[in-house]
Amino acid sequence: MAKDHRAGSKVRGDKLPAILMASHLLEGDTVFLGDSGWTMDPTAAKIAHDAETAAVMEAEGKAAAAANTVIDPYLVPVDLTDHGLPVARHFRDAMRQKGPSIHPDMGKQAEFTPLD
Amino acid sequence: MTLITEAGAVEDRFTRADTIEAALAVEGPVLIPLAIADEFATARPDTEFGVSLPGSAPIEDVKPHLAKASLVAVEFPAFADGRGFSLVKKIVREGFSGTLRASGPLIADEFADALACGFTEVELPETMANRQPVQQWMAAKDTMSEHYQSGYGRGPSILQKRLAARKGA
Amino acid sequence: MYRYDEFDERFVRERVAQFRGQVERRLDGSLSEDEFKPLRLKNGLYLQLHAYMLRIAVPYGTLNSRQLRMLAHIAETYDKGYGHFTTRQNLQFNWPKLKDVPDILGLLADVEMHCIQTSGNCIRNVTSDQFAGVAKDEVEDPRPTAELIRQWSSLHPEFVWLPRKFKIAVTGAEHDRAAIKVHDIGLKLKRNDQGEVGYEVIVGGGLGRTPMIGKVVREFLPKDELLAYLEAVMRVYNSEGRRDNKFKARVKILVHETGEEEFRARVEEEYAKLDGPTINAPEEEVERIAAYFAAPTYEDLPETSQVLEQARAIDPELDRFVAQNSFEHKQPGYIALTIALKEIGAVPGDMSADQMRAFADIAEKYSFDEFRVTHSQNLVLPHVRKDDLPAVHAALKAAGLASANAGLITDIIACPGLDYCALATAKSIPIAQAIAKTFADQERQKAIGELPIKISGCINACGHHHVGAIGILGLEKGGRENYQITVGGDATEHASLGERLGPGIDAEDVPAAIEAIVETYLAEKTGEESFIETVRRTGAEPFKAGFAAFIESRTAQHEAAE
Repeated sequence: MAKDHRAGSKVRGDKLPAILMASHLLEGDTVFLGDSGWTMDPTAAKIAHDAETAAVMEAEGKAAAAANTVIDPYLVPVDLTDHGLPVARHFRDAMRQKGPSIHPDMGKQAEFTPLD
Repeated sequence: MTLITEAGAVEDRFTRADTIEAALAVEGPVLIPLAIADEFATARPDTEFGVSLPGSAPIEDVKPHLAKASLVAVEFPAFADGRGFSLVKKIVREGFSGTLRASGPLIADEFADALACGFTEVELPETMANRQPVQQWMAAKDTMSEHYQSGYGRGPSILQKRLAARKGA
Repeated sequence: MYRYDEFDERFVRERVAQFRGQVERRLDGSLSEDEFKPLRLKNGLYLQLHAYMLRIAVPYGTLNSRQLRMLAHIAETYDKGYGHFTTRQNLQFNWPKLKDVPDILGLLADVEMHCIQTSGNCIRNVTSDQFAGVAKDEVEDPRPTAELIRQWSSLHPEFVWLPRKFKIAVTGAEHDRAAIKVHDIGLKLKRNDQGEVGYEVIVGGGLGRTPMIGKVVREFLPKDELLAYLEAVMRVYNSEGRRDNKFKARVKILVHETGEEEFRARVEEEYAKLDGPTINAPEEEVERIAAYFAAPTYEDLPETSQVLEQARAIDPELDRFVAQNSFEHKQPGYIALTIALKEIGAVPGDMSADQMRAFADIAEKYSFDEFRVTHSQNLVLPHVRKDDLPAVHAALKAAGLASANAGLITDIIACPGLDYCALATAKSIPIAQAIAKTFADQERQKAIGELPIKISGCINACGHHHVGAIGILGLEKGGRENYQITVGGDATEHASLGERLGPGIDAEDVPAAIEAIVETYLAEKTGEESFIETVRRTGAEPFKAGFAAFIESRTAQHEAAE
């Protein structure tokens, strides 16, 4: 029963560029794989522009899950803003990057520089 | 495989055999699938044996073997598949007094439930036993000291204890 | 209300320690995430989109001021200063940390609360009528039954690894406010021809992907046989319920696929094998529990309160509030008061820590220190003196809790939806907010009358959209959020499932679509008919026609704009 739901969203079209998103086991916060480890900051997510980098990041996610650091890591296809920041293509993933739409005062949107 | 009872890890006296040929070749107590139990009991009327069956087995299929078998092993396909708990209750209700084994990738956290429903031992694959060693099973079985349900576990239920306390008062 | 004895107390304390140990074993790798997940769910802990979410059990929706103050404390200390009341009469916190949850459970235990079995494939928190002990049409108070089931189902050794979740609801009244026909088991207290009290037992109702109305499996079950009969039903389900497909694993599917007759026969066959007296609760125990639910010591009061009548005459706001939010009490001079957590534009069911404290004071002072949570995500003060109503209203108003819209079109049920929930396919709360703003005008609401709208953000139907007079289901279609609308759903004794009006629409079109449906109702209604009564009489056809006309005009507008 624990296998039947995976966190990834269905996105049509290109799967790249992409970032790696997960939940932090102990905190529960949405986290992103950054240049040096996991970060809560959506603007600090490392961006894979090619399949090789994405595969390496995905492997890193699996290793972190196996090490009981994060849960449900998955690659998230993104578009890049004019400033080169990654915005998830699927509205569900975009919600995770920001926080609840009904509470602009809560979640990432309240703590970090907005992506767009 | 690791075998755990309420008292801790124990040696498995039984040897598993999946075919009648293999079963007949075993020295000592043998654990066989339900389907070959009749054949085996006829061929080796004096040999101790146990039957293995899935948690989904109807009690009607199990009943005819309860008089001869000294062990019934209920196979759990996954730790979250609770059918075995209901099956063991039905087996106990039939008056079976032998060994009742829950076999499969159970977790320590359901040991107390398994015992309360009537199982006397749990047989674990090695990978599970490595991750959740016997000490965890011993600790897990005692984390909850009381239960509300009459007819489960050893001691009286909370409901029965309250009644006794009132009558004693 | 029920109070823990030493056994209950030890039980929840040990449960807290058990969970603390499970968290430690998750962190050290003894438990994998796949193993830990059902264990944490059975303690109410989900992992959602942004954070963990903790669902706290409010057994049959009953709370006192001390408990609410503790919830306020937890909200401020470990969360973001608010809680969310759910359609299961529970309370959820949206931002707890896993590392803090054992401590939170400890604080809950301090006030006789827990999170046991508020999720997972087990028997869930038992729900009941929010007007239990108050309603005039009650055969017997359902709460002692609900409490007995709470105890019996807690960590039941045999039934904690069921094929799927299992929800039990109990009502003691003729008018069903507990939605017993859409629960896995619904129990209705009734009297037989000899005047004895027992239960009508309904099995196999439910919403979700495959909504079904439950079937009566026992017309009359003697009251003292309850636990043994429940054990029989549960054993049949645990043994035979489907485990090959999560979407077909609820007992409603077993009843449906087995056939009502055959299912009943299997339950009765199992029941016949049970030794009832060794399973059922001793009579003394049933009486012990029931004693906690004895009526409070009411004052002898006249039915009509002069104080209230005079205050209403000069205060239209109070007058409207009392007219809309009060429920007739069986005790003269008292009423039960619904507190709609539905301020226009607010999040349905949300309550801030400050509001919790203010409300705790009000309940303590004016309602025998007791209040209820309803499945409409509202609260109820069950026993308010009519004389006190002006003061209660003033206190509620000061706390932002005097919304006079209980049961009206702006009293909307909405699941958390995509703003929080990992399973959601679309947003739910913003739709409720937009509809409420559209119908904010009080006179307009009053003219429309009773109209429960229920919104779910995915097929799992936590917002009970199937049984909304108007139901809204948010789905994902072609990478966008899309909303399907139904009419005619009803969760009461007239239980029925809503019928879809047409194709799904975009979020921004939903308020106007609801307006079109309301227009159809106002055109079709005769006399004093409520919305659901009109739909029952006319069927869905006029509403489908109105909806089709709406879609057509909307399409024309879009085309003109391009």
